Amino acid sequence: MTKISQVSVGAQDATSKLFRAREHSVEVEARPLGGDDIKPRKFNPPLPRRYYLYLLAPAIGILAFISLYPFFWLIFLSMQDVDIMGGNWVGLENYANLLTDRRFLNGWSLLLKYSAACLFLQLTIGVILAVIVNNSRYEKVLVTALLMPMMMAPAVAGLLWLFLYNGTFGWYHWIMESLGILGSASILAKADTAMAAIVMVDVWQWTPLITLIALAGLKRVPRDQLEANMVDGASPLRNFFAITLPNLYPVLVIGVLLRFMDNFRFIDHILVLTGGGPASATKILPVYLFEVAFKFFKLGRGAAIALTLLLVTIVLGKILVSVFDKPKGSRS
Amino acid sequence: MASVTFKNVWKYYGKTPAVKDLNIECPDGSFVSILGPSGCGKSSTMRMLAGLEHISAGDILFDGERINDLPPKDRDVAMVFENYALYPHKTVLENIANPLRLRSVDDDMIKARVDAAAKLLEIDHLLDRRPHELSGGQKQRVAIGRAIVREPRLFLFDEPIAHLDAKLRAHMRGEIKHLQRTLGTTMIYVTHDQLEALSMADYIAVMHDGELQQWGTPSEIFNKPVNAWVAGFVGEPAMNFVTCDLVGHNQEVFLRHENFEIPLLPDQVGKLNGAASAGTARMGVRPDALEISLTKPHQPSITGEVFVNELLGGDMLVEVLLDGSRIRVKTVPEFDGQPGDRCHITVNREKWHIFDAMDGHAYF
Ligand SMILES: Nc1ncnc2c1ncn2[C@@H]1O[C@H](COP(=O)(O)OP(=O)(O)OP(=O)(O)O)[C@@H](O)[C@H]1O
Ligand SMILES: [Mg+2]
Repeated sequence: MTKISQVSVGAQDATSKLFRAREHSVEVEARPLGGDDIKPRKFNPPLPRRYYLYLLAPAIGILAFISLYPFFWLIFLSMQDVDIMGGNWVGLENYANLLTDRRFLNGWSLLLKYSAACLFLQLTIGVILAVIVNNSRYEKVLVTALLMPMMMAPAVAGLLWLFLYNGTFGWYHWIMESLGILGSASILAKADTAMAAIVMVDVWQWTPLITLIALAGLKRVPRDQLEANMVDGASPLRNFFAITLPNLYPVLVIGVLLRFMDNFRFIDHILVLTGGGPASATKILPVYLFEVAFKFFKLGRGAAIALTLLLVTIVLGKILVSVFDKPKGSRS
Repeated sequence: MASVTFKNVWKYYGKTPAVKDLNIECPDGSFVSILGPSGCGKSSTMRMLAGLEHISAGDILFDGERINDLPPKDRDVAMVFENYALYPHKTVLENIANPLRLRSVDDDMIKARVDAAAKLLEIDHLLDRRPHELSGGQKQRVAIGRAIVREPRLFLFDEPIAHLDAKLRAHMRGEIKHLQRTLGTTMIYVTHDQLEALSMADYIAVMHDGELQQWGTPSEIFNKPVNAWVAGFVGEPAMNFVTCDLVGHNQEVFLRHENFEIPLLPDQVGKLNGAASAGTARMGVRPDALEISLTKPHQPSITGEVFVNELLGGDMLVEVLLDGSRIRVKTVPEFDGQPGDRCHITVNREKWHIFDAMDGHAYF
């Protein structure tokens, strides 16, 4: 049909002739009153907000009691060698031991890999799903369907997938095996497939959350910007990357924040599916923590692991939040 | 560059029509202004041209080619949006450069073009700000910049300078007109400011309630309005309307009112098509086609009473009370009639109009 005409761009002097600009201005540029250095003699104080503290005090008190007290108790615990019989003070020894604990370090590396894989897949699939749902006429039905995995308790989800992965009657195992992707060994019995399997469960259960969040974000992507960009000459795909994605960015950061903290906490499905095996291949740090604290009852050591985990979570969370807080000028 | 044709174009939003059976032919390279009050379907028309809105019925042709189903990016139009529609996460520079970037123009060219456009629009000191750090008028100029950095087939400007101050608006009017002349690109320019339309356009399409009222050159629109609505909408200060009786009296036709009885010019009688028998009609005359004096002149005149004087810089606008209506007369500031004074108004009969009392169409 119509050819997209090329931007005919002449030489630079042609451009400047086109825009005759201000050289030909005939107006008298009178200097208006006032200089650069005028300032008020005195600034008014900001609005008083003293009573805020009184209003907040009860809430702060309750929060301190229910969250700070156990926190300090945990720190205290981590400095002791505790078992069922009681504890004795060992100072920082628990921490020092962690540095040479292979399983602890391995737990970290597995946790980061696991979390990165989960986040990547969930974000990609979640956003794509959100775009599909948003453009669909059956949006309401689809959203309801998407919510289902999320409503399931993580342990139940784990059990469900345990059946699907089962080497004798599991669907997935059967499909994979028929396609020749997998040998006869069970999915959960091999180190690399076991990791993929638990990532898969997390992705299955929590991608809908990202989809929902992204869907809410898509609703407020400004239509006028999309339209302007289309008229400027953008294809739908470029439009998505240039306008939709940057506008989705804040809500996606929230999604990432929620999901990565969940990855650091939710281990129900791992305990059900692999229990950290085979041979520690899926023993991400929280699983290891669970083992140390509640299988071997090394409560002091467990507290130390928990605190490092908490510290990293806080730092990473902080970084994400600060990225989120950065003024993006999304107000127009 | 393209000619634009509307063929029986309709736009429905659900069940409400916003544009009704629009037929326009914009010649290649012309400056066409769509003029009309708020909500008359101007933006809807523009959005159909840009490909942002489905054309409910009828066809739009560019150079004789039907473009109804062409996506926006393939229509090669540049649009200034009514609400600016800037990209908040991009700097002013990148906002303006966006259409060029999307066409992979090389960086030097982009820089030259953006600089030139920014200089023209007097926003060259704002290039690295973001839209939320700009005032309304500055945003509007960035939006114009984004449209003029490239040379499309068609410019669509939707009230592009409505938020600028009077001086800058006058300056921009000249610049936009000059730009359009130089490039020779067809321009469709939406405005509700009739001064803008009259001063810039080659052709004006006056719309009301989704319907095209009149299509013509600015002087046709101003001097030969097709109906009372167009006559009343165009022109500032607005045209005066007085409902009168038409009475025939040996060969002559008189316009009769409690305050006056004035004969029509001989050639005007013919244009009435014998409507004189219909009785009433509306006489319309612009304030500057009237002359006011305190002494009774020799010609037939309208007698009234000064109601209020408004001094508008170099002119004075006098509001005169008649029986049952009011007339505004433009005169010199030296006019010294005081409120309550009796005064006499003579009409330049070459410049008056008679409209049908029922449907408002113009006899002349
Ligand atoms: N998306 C929409 N859905 C429903 N009705 C709409 C929509 N957009 C516009 N309309 C209606 O269509 C009519 C024409 O609107 P349009 O925006 O074209 O007016 P306009 O002439 O541009 O007015 P303005 O000068 O205020 O910008 C209005 O009555 C408006 O209420
Ligand atoms: Mg509009």
